[in-house]
Order: sequence, then structure tokens, then C-alpha cells
Amino acid sequence: MPDIIVKPASLKELWKTLPGLPAARRYLAGGTDIVTADNAGVERSECWVDISDLPELAGVEETAAALVIGAGEKISGLERSAAVRRWCPVLVSAIPHFASPSLRNMATLGGNAGNASPCADGVCALVAEGAFVRLELKGKRRRLPLKDLFTGPKRTALRRDELITAFEVPKRRHAGAYLKLGPRSYFGISKAAVAVAAELERGAVKSASVALGSVAPVPLYAAGVSAWLAGRPLSAGTAVEAAARVKAEVSPITDARSEAEYRREMCGVLLERALLSLAR
Amino acid sequence: MKRTGKTMEKLSYVGKSMPRKDAEIKAVGSARYAADRDFAGMLYAAAVRSPRPHIRIDGISDAKARKVPGYAALVTYKDIKGVNKWPVVMQDYPFLPEKEARFAGETVALVVAASEKAARRAAALVELRYKELPFVEDPLEALEKGAPRVHGEDNVFSTYRIKNGSVDEAFRKAAYTVEGEFSTNYQVHAYLETQGAIAVPEPGGGMTVHSTTQCPFYVIDAVAAALAQPYHKIKILQTVTGGGFGGKEDVPALVASHAAICAAKVGRPVRLIYGRKEDFQSMSKRHPGWARVAYAADKSGRITACRVKYVLDGGAYSTLSPIVLWRGTVHAAGPYKVPNVDIRTYAAATNKVPCGAFRGFGQPQISFAQESLIDELAAKVGMDPLKFRLKNLLKPGDRTVTGQKLNSSCGLAEIAQAVRRRSGWDRKWKSPSVKGDVASGIGFSVAYYGVGLGAGGRYLDRAGAMVNIYKDSSVGVSVGNTEMGQGALTVLAQIAAETLNAPYAAVRVEEVDSSKVPDSGPTVASRTTLMSGNAIIDAATPLRERIFKTAYDLLLAEGADASLPMVAANGVFRMGAKSVEFKKVVSGCWSRRLKMCEQGWYTAPRTSFKNEDGQGDAYVIYSYSADAAEVDVDLRTGVLKVRKVWAAYDVGRIVNPGLAMGQAQGGILQGMSWAVYENLVYKNGIMVNPNFTDYVIATTADKPEYDITFIEKPYAEGPYKAKGMGEVPLIGVAPAVANAVRNACGARVRSVPLLPEKIWKEIRKG
Repeated sequence: MPDIIVKPASLKELWKTLPGLPAARRYLAGGTDIVTADNAGVERSECWVDISDLPELAGVEETAAALVIGAGEKISGLERSAAVRRWCPVLVSAIPHFASPSLRNMATLGGNAGNASPCADGVCALVAEGAFVRLELKGKRRRLPLKDLFTGPKRTALRRDELITAFEVPKRRHAGAYLKLGPRSYFGISKAAVAVAAELERGAVKSASVALGSVAPVPLYAAGVSAWLAGRPLSAGTAVEAAARVKAEVSPITDARSEAEYRREMCGVLLERALLSLAR
Repeated sequence: MKRTGKTMEKLSYVGKSMPRKDAEIKAVGSARYAADRDFAGMLYAAAVRSPRPHIRIDGISDAKARKVPGYAALVTYKDIKGVNKWPVVMQDYPFLPEKEARFAGETVALVVAASEKAARRAAALVELRYKELPFVEDPLEALEKGAPRVHGEDNVFSTYRIKNGSVDEAFRKAAYTVEGEFSTNYQVHAYLETQGAIAVPEPGGGMTVHSTTQCPFYVIDAVAAALAQPYHKIKILQTVTGGGFGGKEDVPALVASHAAICAAKVGRPVRLIYGRKEDFQSMSKRHPGWARVAYAADKSGRITACRVKYVLDGGAYSTLSPIVLWRGTVHAAGPYKVPNVDIRTYAAATNKVPCGAFRGFGQPQISFAQESLIDELAAKVGMDPLKFRLKNLLKPGDRTVTGQKLNSSCGLAEIAQAVRRRSGWDRKWKSPSVKGDVASGIGFSVAYYGVGLGAGGRYLDRAGAMVNIYKDSSVGVSVGNTEMGQGALTVLAQIAAETLNAPYAAVRVEEVDSSKVPDSGPTVASRTTLMSGNAIIDAATPLRERIFKTAYDLLLAEGADASLPMVAANGVFRMGAKSVEFKKVVSGCWSRRLKMCEQGWYTAPRTSFKNEDGQGDAYVIYSYSADAAEVDVDLRTGVLKVRKVWAAYDVGRIVNPGLAMGQAQGGILQGMSWAVYENLVYKNGIMVNPNFTDYVIATTADKPEYDITFIEKPYAEGPYKAKGMGEVPLIGVAPAVANAVRNACGARVRSVPLLPEKIWKEIRKG
């Protein structure tokens, strides 16, 4: 753990404090990734900036067009939110797969995205939801499609000190599913995960977005299969064909957690099952 | 839970689920583990570790480390006053390496500093100059000619052979034969409390060591050797130990020696507590195993021969490999009547973490192989695998592969039948089902387990105890075996209370203090209830005579009718309507100036096994297990879920049913976790996942439903007729699960863990 941990009380105070801090600094949101990394001896910052209680990052808010989820809101808070349940079916389906109940009391979606791991369950779900991410740096704000935030494993388009403040999920009626293969029943990092959001109309897919975890360098938005699904009947045949197509879009690797070939095949199985679950 | 077996005597505490003695301090968090202890002037040590699998050490410099505020000292092999050889079984592991380090993670030096953080920071700044040497990772490659040398001329730490009858001929004449290769991966003990010790220098060169350990007497051997001090100047105090499972058998002695060498150098108390990563990288593990097994059977389905080649991956130093291998060797053919056997076993040296004791001790690996293969043999013969086993199981009066004749305490056939009945085996095995993508099936296994050290450790198989009854009638019991979570303090208190007729609440068993009780051997091999239990009975028996005589006199003095028998139960002595309590009796003993403190001693009966021919009695007594596992397999993902496990055990008389149940459930879960989930990965001689993020163990969400039965075959030599049980429930789980997978979907997976990837590949092969 670094010797210096600062905890500003507001965004304003944060921007004021930053210039005086050591250059090797990182934001600490829920701490569930950074503290683990520190324990493993791979986290070498000289300073952590604790943003876990920043009021500007808290809460879930409904606007006319979107649900705005504060980047610092705890996952367990989202679990209890009626608005999240109404507008984010993929995220709701993903939360039980998100680490463990105790970690969900600490972890945040902002941290999940900022850590930029391709296996992040919350991020993968939000990408399928078609979420945008709100960023801020010293008062300057910008907004990106969440899928464009990730540039590589553990790499993002975030500028130095730029902060994720919120996620916007467009309000639209849609169905969603999140299926994950982990190393045990729950509480594990996925070998492969599939998130599907779909607007359905009379047994057909009006629009769909498919995102996948742990099978590419980044949380992957599967543009090909997402586009292909639009206008198709939500049938077993469609699910099987989509499964075949998604396998060509992923680029899994073999590592200590699983094998490339298995992961690729599982993307198909999970997508097929996820689509069929929407039909029920 | 179901228990069967007649109770012959009325007992007050033995056979009852008395509450754990340590429940409260552990529940409220007041138990003091090694890391919770502080001493005035204490410094902190941290290890400098080899980064590569095999290096020649060219130099160690603390030039940069010295700049860390609070830095105190660098400690290397040059600071060792004694002989630089850790005394375990063989003497190949130096306390600190001089010229070569043989695995990534090996401690090459230590630094001492004013805080733990400073010590870790300084350790990271110590510069190690080294040259990389060729290394070998695979145990089978290590045994080949020309492999890089890790140990001796041939990389063999030890080898055994059991040969009986004419195996080649039996295979030639056999109606059915099967052969298969099987392998199993590491298992990490995953105790909640990592390794650690605090060494406190005493005036005059002595050392008191507070150690989290299963084996305080291994610690005293090592610390005395490292410091070159006589034993009477070294005191080992076991701290409340947060889990062991075998992982705190041998290596705590190394950790404690490192702390002691540091403390001797700086002249102040030194605390050395391991982080989880270094604990993974450098502390003991279950050996990966490889085996080629073959069985032969005659036309009627009787096993006629068994041939085994069994290799354990010992890692870079021998530590406990020779005795782990020996236990595996003796049990390698399974609990069957096998007239012709040829078992050859090897512990191979590799440039990886040294492996040692883990619940089951070399048996689970070979049990997975032979019990999987027994199912294949039954299939060839065309029999139900459970009925096939029943036909071949050892029964009282039969001889094991080492020629040992089993006595009446062998309930193997009965436990197999119990599991068969309770699990609905006959119906389920014949009709595995498929619903959607999920196939369900059931699998079976049996195992036997030699209790105690047996012939492999016959010189260590003794234990002492001291029972001290204070004036206020509270009873202090000191033993040489340890509580590590398994419930020893409780079970031993029950035995002491029972023998003395003291109230259970009046008895306290303490953590081990090496100066109070003679060397009682290690707390391993499911031997504590048996060995320390008998030692307590030995110590308590003369005290019991004094107490009972005094009680009798007191009752007569109170006017009891001498023609009536005196009945002693639950801490009260009665004769007719008159009664006197334990407290008053003890007070009477003290006023008579009777000796109220006794030492006890127990030595295991002789074992006749000889290494030369692999024949003779290997253990004094065996415990037995039978398991049926019911599984669901997702045919498209290969994901395996163990739904229910039916198990039955013969572990002799049960001293504490509640704790026995805990041991059974914990053993099944740990066995299932090894069988299904746990996967420690090495790549190019480096451990890839030394953490709980990527080394996953079963959680309560993975827990199967349990159905557990005890069939209590009394063991006459045991304390209140108990045998031993700690390890028994783990051994047979993996093969039962593997056999269930085969029954469910036809996939025969020959390596543990049964990862979804492996099952999926087998299913795809069809």
C-alpha cells in the first residue's frame, strides 16, 4: 500500500488537490482490484486518490432519455435500484455473477470500467446495454460510447487523471440476458461471458447488441452478430446461426484460466442459450 | 447422520457431541494467532526469494536495501551457527542456500527491519546476482537419463517396491485385463492463516519460538540444529493454528528456523509472517501424481493381479516425499484381495516447490487412478462396479498386498452396502438420465487408510501427555499433538474427563508447549485421537484410582451403604442415595497429599513391514471409506456439478459425533474441490497463479448435499475403541466423481482436476 492516500470531499477539491500529488498515482474506487493487485505485489503507485465517497459519483438518476448511473455507486446499491431493474435487464442479469456479495458492497461500475479488464462482468453487461460513459477532467466533460473506452487489456482512452463520473443507459424497452462460464458455481473470473440486449417485436428481434467478456483483449462489442440479428425471428434456428457467427468475432487466448478453443466454442453455446432465454 | 454399532458401556462424554473447547475464542475473534502476538523490541523479517527455477548464486548485496528507514540486517547462510541442513527425513534442504537455489520462490536470504512494510520493501531491494542453470519441470522427464540434476545421480528421492506372487503369469492367464495412465495436479492447503513464527531470544543463548504448526517437535529439531543449541534451551509454543491439512507438518520448522536465525543475529524478537503469494510459491503442497495401473481378473470377476508404476512430483527438496510415497505405495492396489502384485513407486525431484503432507498423504492420487480403473475392469467383466467391488473387497481375516492379516475392525463390506442402499445405487447406476443438455450419473469408490504412522514412521509413533489436577479441581492437560482446527482440544478433553469422571467444563487441554511433554511425534496421519488419547488415559489412570478411592471413602464417611456399588458419571460419584461431586473428591485427595499430576505415554504396537520385500504389517489398524457421488454434466460446456455425496465410514468408535460430522463434510468438500476445481499452474518453472483469484477452491455454493453414515467397528487398542478419521473422508471422493462423470456421459477423464475443458473434449471425442 502506498504511503500517501488522499480522500477529497468533492470533485472541485479533487481537481485542486491533484497537482500537488506524486506523479505515480491512481484512483481508488471500491478498491477490489487495486488492493488485490497491491497484495500480489504488482501495484506500485506512490499515491492512491480515494474517490469512493465523492458525492458527484453517487446515485442513480432518471432523465427523459436515459438512466444515469453514478460511477461510484456500489454494485449492491444497483442491485436494489428499481430504476436499474426496469431499464437495465442485462446488468441485472449480470450482477449475481459479479464477484461475491461482500465484494459487491465495495465494488463500483466506474472501477470496473477503469480497470479495463476484458473479463469485467459489469462492463460487459453495460456494453450490451448500449451505455455511454461520462468523463471529466478538471471540469472539462466528454461522453463516449462505453465500447470505445477500451483500447487494449487494462488500457483505456482515459486521459491522465480523467475520471469516469457516470454511465448513461438509453431508456428503451428491451430484454436482456447475461450468461457466464466461470471456474466454479459463483465468485470467479469468467472463462467466457455473453451479454445480450434485444428489442423484441412480435417474436422477432428488432435490434440486438451482443457483448462478450474474456474472449478478446477488451470487453468486446460483437458488431457483426449484433447487426445480423436485427430483423430475424427469435427462433432456435436464429440462435444456432448467431452462435456460429459469434465464434468468428472473438479472439480468445489460452492461459491459466482456460483454453482458446474451448472459449471460442463456449461463446457460441452461451449466445445460443442467452438468445433462447429471451424467447421464453 | 446415521450411526450404527452397539455401545457396550455407559459413557458420560465420549460418544457425545460436546461443544468445541475453542469455539468461543474463534467465534468472537479473541483467539491469538502468530501474527497477533507482540513482544517488546520486536523486529520483522521478510524473505528474499529466488526469481528463477534453478540458479547459481553469485552474490547477495543489501547496498540499496540499507537505505530503507528502519533497516536492521541482512541474514544469509553465513549467519547459521549450526549445520546448514534442515533435519527432516533426508538432509538435502539447507536452511538457506549457499551456492544454488533449486526452485522459484526458495528463500535465499532474509532481511530484518523495524516494521513489516520496511522489511518487505528492503527485501525487494536486495540484489541477487545469479546465473541461470538448466531446470526440469516434469517429473517423468526428471527420471529420464540426461535430465538436469536436481537431486543425486538420478533425481530419485526415494523408491519402493511391493512384490508378491507371479504378476506376469497372472496377466497371461487372465480373462480380463485393463491398463490406464492417470495423473493428478497439486493441491494447495489454503489454510486461512498463512505460515509464520516469532522467535524470542532468551538470555544465555536460548530461544522461545511461537509457531503456527502441526508439529512442534519438528520445529524444535530444526531450531536447535540451526542455532546449535541444546534442546533444553529451546522452547516451542504452538500458537492457535488457523488450519493445517498437512501444510503445517514440516515447513513451519523451516519458517521458525528462519525467524530464529534472524533473532539470534539481531538479539531481539523477530516476527516472520508469510504473505499469501510467498506461501503459495514456497510452502508445501499435495504432490502431483502420475500412475500407470493395470489389473487382471479371472472369468468369474475375481481380481488376480495388479501392476502399478506410481510417480510423485517431489519438487526441489525431499522434505516428506519418502514417507508420502511409502503410504501411497502400501495402499496402491486398493482395498482388495489381490494375490499377485507388483508395485513400483518413485518420488522424483524437479525444480519446483517441494511437496509434502496433505490430508490423505499420497493416497488420493493413486486412489483416483486405481478406483477409476476398477470401474473399467468391472465394465470389461460386465458387472455393476459396486457389486464387482463387493466381490473383491478385503474382509476381516483377509490379507492385504503386504501380507497383513486384517482383524475384526474392518467394516468395508458393510459401509459399501450402506452406501449402496442409501444412494439407491442399483436403480440409479443402471439408468443415467439426460434432460436437455444435462446428463446425470452416479459413481462409486472405496478406500482404506492405515491409521497412524505405521512402519513408515515406526520410531516416531509414540506420544506423551501430562494430566495435572489443580487444588480447585480444574484439570490441565498437556499433550504433544496439536489442535489445528480438527477438534483435538475437544476430543482429548472428552477422553480426559471420561477417564477421571471430571466435569467436561473442568478440563482444559492446552496448545503444545515443547517443554511440558516429551516428543510425541507429529500431528499427522489421523493419529492424534489414537495416540494422545491413549497417552492421556495412561496418565489419567493412576489419578482415576486415587480419585475413585477417595470418593469411595468420602461416600462411606457420609454414611453410604457399602453393599451398594459406586456409580461414577458426569462428574458425580454416587452410592445409593448419597453422592459426592468431583470438586469435593479432589479437595479430599489434596488434603490426603495424594499425587495429582501424572505423565502418560503410549507407543504404537509393533509393525513388521520390511522395505526389502515390501511384506509385513504396514499399519496397526485401518479405517475405511465408501463414497457414491451423483453428478450433473452439461454436455455442451463440460461443466460438472457434484449434486450429492453418500459416504459411509468405519473409523472405529466415534468420540464426538458433531466433530466427526464436521471432519466428514470438510473432507468430502476438500476432496471434491481437488477433484473438480483446484488447478495450480506452472509455466517454464514459474508458478502462474499463486493467489485465490486464479487458484479457485470450492465455496459453499459448490457444496454437494451430504448423506453420511458411520459404522463403528470398535478397535480394542484405541481410546474408548476409536481409530482415526481426519484424512479418511477425502480419499475416495475424486474417483467417485470421475466414475459418476463416466456413468453420466461416457467421458472417462484420467486427470484431476476434472475441468470442464477436459470433460468437453472427451464428450466431443464421443
